[in-house]
Amino acid sequence: MSQADLAAAVDVTRQTINAVERERYDPSIELAFKLAAYFDCRIEDLFDPELNGVGTDHDD
Amino acid sequence: MTQTETTGRKRFTKRRRYRRVMVGVLLAGVAIGLALRSIGYPFVGEAVYWLGIISVLAIWRSTSLTLFDERDQELERRTAMTTLSVFAAVLVIGASATRVLAWAGIYTVPPVLAGALYGYVVLFLVALFIGAWYRYRG
Repeated sequence: MSQADLAAAVDVTRQTINAVERERYDPSIELAFKLAAYFDCRIEDLFDPELNGVGTDHDD
Repeated sequence: MTQTETTGRKRFTKRRRYRRVMVGVLLAGVAIGLALRSIGYPFVGEAVYWLGIISVLAIWRSTSLTLFDERDQELERRTAMTTLSVFAAVLVIGASATRVLAWAGIYTVPPVLAGALYGYVVLFLVALFIGAWYRYRG
């Protein structure tokens, strides 16, 4: 599959897909959901955010 | 290729074509307008210029396609922020420098440059107003 095919499927430009692949652009939640739906997987399977300890250090 | 992919591909190709047509029409309108003014047809040149502008707006408003996607909007946001930062630096340094130089009797800023600085002030007032509107519109 080409970037153009994927871009067409999720209704963005090829440059946007290229930027996401190269980690130069963080997609919106809407686009992330579209990509996950397209590949039939979860968002976490596609993206690995660096949360810097968020959610791992609870005081309560 | 599935039906969805075929439809998506057509939409993708159409969007690219529309964007190219918009840029082409705009550049052609400006270039032809300038050329006509320079050879002595100012009113016709102005009409061609406006024809280009209105054509771009007509294409943009009449199509149901999303011509600019979310990354385009993000790039525009970053561009606007960087541009405002550059103008802010020029205004802060420029305004201070012009005052100091004038008080010291070294250099008096020409009215055109002073006018440009006042223009920057107006630009920031407009930006403040629009920013407040977005923030408090409910």
